Amino acid sequence: MRALLSFDQAPPLAAPLRFFLTAPLFSALAGLLLLLAGPQVLVSRWTPGALALTHLITAGFMLQVMLGALIQILPVVAGANLKHPLLVASLVHGTITPGALLLCAAFLLSDRLTFEVAALLLAAGVGVFLLAAGCALYAVPTTSPTSRGLRLALPGLAISVALGVLLAGARAGSLPLPQATPLHVAWGLIGWGVVLLAVVALVVVPMFQMTPPYPESFARFFPLALLGMLAVWSLAESLSGGALATALSAFPVGGVAVFAALTLDLQQRSQRARMDATQHYWRWAMICALAASALVLAANVVPTIGERREWPLICGTLVLFGGFVAVMTGMLYKIVPFLIWLNLQNLGQGRILAPTMNRVITAKSVNQQTIAHFAALALLLAASVSPEWLARPAGLAVLVASGWLMLTLLRATGFHRQHVRRIQALVANSAA
Amino acid sequence: MSLGDPDVLLDARELEPPEPLVRTLEALERLGAHEKLLVLLPREPYPLYRTLELNGFSWQTECRSDGTVAVLIGHREP
Repeated sequence: MRALLSFDQAPPLAAPLRFFLTAPLFSALAGLLLLLAGPQVLVSRWTPGALALTHLITAGFMLQVMLGALIQILPVVAGANLKHPLLVASLVHGTITPGALLLCAAFLLSDRLTFEVAALLLAAGVGVFLLAAGCALYAVPTTSPTSRGLRLALPGLAISVALGVLLAGARAGSLPLPQATPLHVAWGLIGWGVVLLAVVALVVVPMFQMTPPYPESFARFFPLALLGMLAVWSLAESLSGGALATALSAFPVGGVAVFAALTLDLQQRSQRARMDATQHYWRWAMICALAASALVLAANVVPTIGERREWPLICGTLVLFGGFVAVMTGMLYKIVPFLIWLNLQNLGQGRILAPTMNRVITAKSVNQQTIAHFAALALLLAASVSPEWLARPAGLAVLVASGWLMLTLLRATGFHRQHVRRIQALVANSAA
Repeated sequence: MSLGDPDVLLDARELEPPEPLVRTLEALERLGAHEKLLVLLPREPYPLYRTLELNGFSWQTECRSDGTVAVLIGHREP
């Protein structure tokens, strides 16, 4: 290609990349915690260790990838340009990173001040992001289901974080303990996580996996329908709880299962001759989402299933490590090489070619990390059932898979630095 | 500018990123001063618009009922 054109990279590479490089640090810490603390963490979902583990993944890994990816894709898929993207990225990253670390420390130490500072930092960081992203999204017309869906995902994040702040305040002893945990979890994982994932999937699944598009009716109505079902359940849960709320919870959970089944069906119709690692990550994530949905619905029908010690641990592992972490890791292997390629292409000023995307992160490295991830998932599921024997091996496996991901992404940034120097030297020579 | 009379047609609807962007830029390099390029894409190419703006092109976009986004591009009139 003889690219004579220059193209603007907005936002700058540094804005999203800091989030993507920080994310694996949190999942590695989760692995390290399980390795060091061992079986006692998995006695129940309510142990300080299990709560820290959960939030290292949700407020740590997931929040980093989701906010970093949104800063990158809002201009690309919705034409919504953040004002001062580098400043927004610095403020958000600079607050949510220590916020999530302190939150996990607060769970482990049961320390009042640490809970308060963590809640303040996370609320401030997410607040800055919501303001910046909200202004950008509301400044453009909602011409596509994606831009409409992106608008709908933001309130889910706001609600989940607000409830999280209340719960942190209660743990710090400064507020009465509200019965808000199920609402916090549901709005965080479904109202924010699944809505955002489904909206992003509308673009990235057909784009990167060469599948047919999602049905128009799904693209148009799914986010709103899922939020509606979640809102109705939330109302029943807050007002009365009990059997009505349990029955109504089947609707949003069923909605998640519909999204997962539809995505698997589209993948079956991919035009690719061979699946790549990203497709494997998506496929297994959707299978995990279906399995988790089935477990939740089974516990609704047969309550003794949900009362078993391992039930919430298996559900949590399937949703978090098998579902969200898997999809996000798979997407990082598409987003990071593309951003680096785009940056190098631009740096060449149309005179020097950038190396191709598949040289930024090699398929071999990605495939090996993928195997490590799914081995860790299998061990985590087994450790939920037999924590005495398998908690520490599972922790080690998560540490290895996350360290591998971190190393792969760091190598990509090393590749970028090396080619920046090469291209700058060639551009200087050709100009002389 | 009318979307009906391109000199060059590029159907990038079934290409994986970044190929649609790469091939569009390649086609634009070869585009004559008074020629028009029609690019067919599966979604609206917001990053391409910034590139066109920066490099002196004008464009017209049409969203078709089958989901195709057609972008007709030519050199901007001086």
